[in-house]
Amino acid sequence: MNVTHDTDHKTTTIHATGRLDFEAAGAFQKDLEASIAAAAAAGNAVLIDCATLDYVSSAGLRVFLVGARAAKAANVPFAVYALTAAVKEVFDVSGFGRIIDVLADRASALEKVGRSA
Amino acid sequence: MSESRTEVGADAAALAALQSFLLEFWSKSQLPPATLFPFELALEEVFMNVVMHGSRDRPNVRAEFTLRHEDSWVDLTIRDNGAPFDPLAAPEPDLNAALEDRPIGGLGVHLIRTLMDAVTYSHVDNCNVLVMRKHLDA
Repeated sequence: MNVTHDTDHKTTTIHATGRLDFEAAGAFQKDLEASIAAAAAAGNAVLIDCATLDYVSSAGLRVFLVGARAAKAANVPFAVYALTAAVKEVFDVSGFGRIIDVLADRASALEKVGRSA
Repeated sequence: MSESRTEVGADAAALAALQSFLLEFWSKSQLPPATLFPFELALEEVFMNVVMHGSRDRPNVRAEFTLRHEDSWVDLTIRDNGAPFDPLAAPEPDLNAALEDRPIGGLGVHLIRTLMDAVTYSHVDNCNVLVMRKHLDA
């Protein structure tokens, strides 16, 4: 799994690429928690761009859950967008759409977290 | 009909080798890549359960994986000598719980039960045997 970040429009975007499996989950969780803490200090929102995230298992779902809780506790607007078919299926089956804001694309995700492009 | 088998110790480091085993089977059997995902997921979820729970306080736990393709069906069978565990007896997670109340685990078994067409568990010769079947839609 490969992760890059950029910050724009008072929003930190985490671009997640590849496989979020058990092996990748620990490092991604640390990265996400650090990004949320930094965003809280800067008054930024956090988005996860999943356009090139091909795979997620329950170990990966756990990271999304931990991230969503950390963001809520820190008052950081948080959403994920552009899920691939496999990742969307896992989110749907797990009911994660009810606890995490899942948007179709970047523009709607920015709007959801109160930032306009 | 095609069949492949591999065996690994209950160590998370074997996950990558198991993923390769699955990919090789898909390629060898000329199965459509789009049908791979539920099996990738099932393989990781079941193996990590053996690693995290089945081999706790038990030495030399091993897991044997068999993939079988016949008549548009693929079977993934996992046989391990870890602690007896029937995933089908696990309660379904509450998918309507609020963010704060969502349990941090328990989703793996739910994913497998939902994405596979049939899952059967038996305990034979002191081993857990889990068979997961799915039809590959044309």
